[in-house]
Amino acid sequence: MKKWFAAGLLALAIGYTVYGLSTLTLLTSSGRPAAGFFPLLIGILLITSCTVNLWGDLREWMMEKRTGIAPVHQAEPETDAKADALGVDAHGIDGGPEFGRDVFIVFLYICGFVAIMNVVGALLAMFIFMLVYLFTFNRAHTIGNLIYSLALPAFLYGLFKILLNASLPVGPLGF
Amino acid sequence: MLADIAANLSLGLSIAASPDGFLFLVIGAFLGMIVGLFPGFGPAAGIAVLIPMTFGLEPTIAIIMLAGIYYGSMYGGTITSILINTPGESATVASTIDGYPLAQKGRAGPALVMQAIASFFGGTIGVILITALAPSLANFAASFGPSEYFLIIAVGLLMLTTMMGDNKFKGFISALIGFAVGTIGVDVMSGQQRYTFGSPELIGGVYFVAVAIGLFGIGELLHCIFNGQHRQPAKRLRISFRDKEFWPSRQDYYESRFTFWRGSAIGFIAGVLPGSGATLGSIIGYSVEKKVAKDPEKFGKGEMRGLVAPEAANNAASAGAMVPLLSLGIPGSGATAVLLGAFLMWGLQPGPLLIVNDPEFVWGLIASMYLGNMILIAMSIFAIPLFVKFLDIPYVNVVPVIVLLCVIGAFAINASIIETWILVLSGLVGFAMKKYGYSPAATVLALVLGSMAEETFLQTYIISQGTMNLFWERPVSLVLSIVLLAVVITPIALAVMSRLKGNAAKVNGEAS
Repeated sequence: MKKWFAAGLLALAIGYTVYGLSTLTLLTSSGRPAAGFFPLLIGILLITSCTVNLWGDLREWMMEKRTGIAPVHQAEPETDAKADALGVDAHGIDGGPEFGRDVFIVFLYICGFVAIMNVVGALLAMFIFMLVYLFTFNRAHTIGNLIYSLALPAFLYGLFKILLNASLPVGPLGF
Repeated sequence: MLADIAANLSLGLSIAASPDGFLFLVIGAFLGMIVGLFPGFGPAAGIAVLIPMTFGLEPTIAIIMLAGIYYGSMYGGTITSILINTPGESATVASTIDGYPLAQKGRAGPALVMQAIASFFGGTIGVILITALAPSLANFAASFGPSEYFLIIAVGLLMLTTMMGDNKFKGFISALIGFAVGTIGVDVMSGQQRYTFGSPELIGGVYFVAVAIGLFGIGELLHCIFNGQHRQPAKRLRISFRDKEFWPSRQDYYESRFTFWRGSAIGFIAGVLPGSGATLGSIIGYSVEKKVAKDPEKFGKGEMRGLVAPEAANNAASAGAMVPLLSLGIPGSGATAVLLGAFLMWGLQPGPLLIVNDPEFVWGLIASMYLGNMILIAMSIFAIPLFVKFLDIPYVNVVPVIVLLCVIGAFAINASIIETWILVLSGLVGFAMKKYGYSPAATVLALVLGSMAEETFLQTYIISQGTMNLFWERPVSLVLSIVLLAVVITPIALAVMSRLKGNAAKVNGEAS
């Protein structure tokens, strides 16, 4: 996935530069920099650095594929200190189990929450999000989940809508 | 000069110690402690997520509360470092090295008290130095032209990326992404629309708060879920300050008497330097303490000085990072970038003139930091049992609190569903950036400073008639240009040298 992310960034960098070149003026009639000058500089730097970055990630991937061993990176100072504290090798720190599926589910729920917010209103959307989330990841506590799903949205709605007078989406029920 | 400082501080105290100021300072410090407690949720995320809660407050009071969250998280982050060997915040990683062994030896109480005292000491020394240095630096910076400002931004961003180990290049790309996003909207110089795709919602640009909340809040949350934090059971710990063994011994204080000063000095310098910040400050503080110790073998096995040094350093660094923010209007880290964004949101104009134009704000904030440190030391010692109780909450139940605060907060800022979707997208990008070694902090920093960088770069270009000689003709610019070159060239030179050394060793090995 790392190389795909790098490739996506390169594609975006190219799109950013090409779109900028085709829609923005680079220099004014008096030869001064115009609205497209700075974006063009950023675009060129982005394309160059993203190309080198993608090349590095591809080489790393090919090496990993050939040898079956993930390349060793120089750890960040933070990771080094953490490894020192835990008494382990710095490069083994991120080697624990991964929960990509859970990330996908939570992200999907967040998207659903934002999508229904304007339709059913903020309070009901918060309640639905919490119910669905808690009954996916914390199934054992039915009563606790129900109380929590009611209490937290009510508290936040009160805080933002009543105390802070913020504007929140209103549903057909008026809240 | 001292009379000026005293007058300014009393003005600041009249604001910070007012009923409103004090109340929101306590709330900010309390929330900061909680933000620090939860691993993977740092001060940048905490401030970004809680910005919408400051709606309706007066700007100075709002910033006092947000700053309280910022330095309060340094105190809170150490509690988990000591008790469960898990730093709540990256700046408290170094505190784990000796903090946890101390707890294992049955000295959790003295460790918690000493970390609170060290944090208070470092934080207070830091604020005293801000009081002395910020006005002088602002005076000095008043003569800065666009070339100096552009170079300071460039040095800050480059130094932030050099903190990223082998991922420096990815850090550089992260900063460029921030600049690119910053160009969306109307160009202030020509009035031409850029990358708006005809959408009226994008004319004002991409609002930084939604991006910051997404990258730091949702991004870090998804990363914590990816690492399985939501599957871990709650830690049930109990600690009481009524226990006899809770308090440090005289020997602890005596042995650490110089460590407080060393840690604070190192931390403050690290904090002032753009890009380095509290994490590096605490690590350097620990390393120096171990090097100067006559008994370095004790470090890592539960040595009190090994806890005091990084704690004094990270708190002094968090104060030090406020110096460039208040005097130049340039943040050096993700958290201070979010604070700068909050300044802009409240209509404040950061830069050297901030102290002159808004003395109530600047001195109110500085005075609140003196008070905040006093509140935090009291909280860190007497409310420890309460904060330890927060660790009883399993992360699976913390997730919805963060999600709801992020989404509702992002919507509430401008009642914009587009901004809420920008938050969701930024969250996904933030997660991928963290996972693949990019730097969300560099992106936010570049996004906040993007318009300033563009403006100063173009002004330099126009004034020098395209030659850019302003970058080396003015003395301060010349020094900054040399620093910039050193930051770029040093890692390349070191890499080439180590490769040459490796090759030489290989040849020698083959020859023998």
